[in-house]
Amino acid sequence: MPDVLLTVLRLIFLALVYLFLWQVARSISDHLGLRWQRETRRRGTRVVVIRSDTQAGLDFTVRDAVVLGRSPEADIELADPYASEFHLRLVSRDGRLVLTDLGSTNGTYVNGRRVTAPVELNRGDAIQVGKTVMEVK
Amino acid sequence: MTRLLEATLLVGAAAIAAFGVTLVNLATGTGVDAQVGLTFFVFLLAFGAVHVALRTFAPRSVPYLLPPAALLAALSFVEIYRISPFRAGLQRWWLLIAAAGAVLVLAVLHRTGTVLLRRYRFTLFGVTLLLLAAPLIPSDAPGPIRGLEANGSRLWVVADMGFIELHFQPGEVAKLAFVAFLAAYLADRISLTGTRRRLGRWSIPEPRQIFPLVAVWALSSLVLVSQRDLGAATLLFAVVVAMLYAATAERVFLWAGGVLAGGGAVSAYVLFAHVQRRVEAWLDPFADFEGTGYQIAQGVFALGSGSLAGAGPGLGRPDLIPNAITDFIFAAVGEELGFAGTVAVIASYAVVVAVGFGIALRARDRYRKLLAAGLTFAFGFQTFLILAGVLRILPLTGISLPFMSYGGSSLVGNFALVALLARISHEETA
Repeated sequence: MPDVLLTVLRLIFLALVYLFLWQVARSISDHLGLRWQRETRRRGTRVVVIRSDTQAGLDFTVRDAVVLGRSPEADIELADPYASEFHLRLVSRDGRLVLTDLGSTNGTYVNGRRVTAPVELNRGDAIQVGKTVMEVK
Repeated sequence: MTRLLEATLLVGAAAIAAFGVTLVNLATGTGVDAQVGLTFFVFLLAFGAVHVALRTFAPRSVPYLLPPAALLAALSFVEIYRISPFRAGLQRWWLLIAAAGAVLVLAVLHRTGTVLLRRYRFTLFGVTLLLLAAPLIPSDAPGPIRGLEANGSRLWVVADMGFIELHFQPGEVAKLAFVAFLAAYLADRISLTGTRRRLGRWSIPEPRQIFPLVAVWALSSLVLVSQRDLGAATLLFAVVVAMLYAATAERVFLWAGGVLAGGGAVSAYVLFAHVQRRVEAWLDPFADFEGTGYQIAQGVFALGSGSLAGAGPGLGRPDLIPNAITDFIFAAVGEELGFAGTVAVIASYAVVVAVGFGIALRARDRYRKLLAAGLTFAFGFQTFLILAGVLRILPLTGISLPFMSYGGSSLVGNFALVALLARISHEETA
């Protein structure tokens, strides 16, 4: 057995061991949502309107803070008669997205539960305002 | 999705083991033989069986425990094969038996869950004591089960089955039974808002809460005296201190534990010659190179000569280290796979420990929290003890390295430990 070949083979062996560990580490970081969090920090979080009479498909990105409401002065204007003028606020900080209800008349629902205190959102959460449903991407 | 990844990684670990055996074959010039295929097949069968059992009996468990364990088993198997092909053949059988044990644990807990262990806590305590005492049965006792003394410590039991003699270390399984008992005991007894008593300017928990600590300290001293097993005694005591602290968040347990351990260590040093020898070999292995220091010195040489990437499987001389396939398997890995190999080993242990504590943090009731934390701590601390001994951070205590040391009892115990952790994680993601 030529020594060179053996040396190459044993380096491949070590490389395989580290490839294995890398896969374990990466899947754990995915599991904990670390990668999502890192990318979110850089790019902001995208929110898509998935159900609405007129605004389905509308999407926007939260980088710092965004206020949603029926008022034309809101950052995102909701065309929903059940929404308040300034209905809720979304704040993105350190890769985390926090929703605060701004004392709306008809309330905000996250995954079907009414929001009473600021709540942290995760990917896939559904936000409902009146008849409008949005999803965190 | 992640289960699929687990399956893929387990196949990968089997391939790494087989590849390593191939390298040993090539390097030693024996020619690639049936050992390669056999190793791949046995790893696949053993870890595949546990994987299927997880899918069947605990489908929501985390998939990150088994792959690092498989990697550890694969790396150590290569070294065991390199040092003693005969022992490697036996180790393959042990892998299969240990995997069967893990499947059994998962199957038994399938319907009731870990609550079953809580229900039988005092049975488990009895089992712990029996297992710890078993090696003390006289070697010439009538009957099929006898104790055995090896390397100056009395931790073996021989079961004479007539046609074959089975050797095992009951301590490896006693560890699990003891943690399960302790988790149930503490979950029952110690309330989080324990009443406190004033002692001068300190406020301390009720004395009866510290009582178990003292009791176990006495018990572990007894193990130390009767079996001359430094490792088991240290582990036993550390597990209790850690679990008391985990249950109460009272720092007084850490202080009291430290003081008792320190006192115990000093008196052990003064009283026992074998402890003195261990300490002297640790401080200066080269003072008595041919005698007490030989093992540690050879281990240090092995790690040093391994350098960055190691000599290569089959190309070093790990066979020069006494007990290279049991206590000193880490030094053997260091010699042939180098610093890179040892870092991979430590990283794998770190993953298991981190995932284990993650399970404990997520567990919803106190019993499961304590069980997961205790099992993880025992696993991690045992690893630390023996690695620290090999690396000369602490005196050598002579305890097996989980998933790596040659030997059936250790594999059976640690496979069962991982199965229990997986089961707890399954119960918490309902």
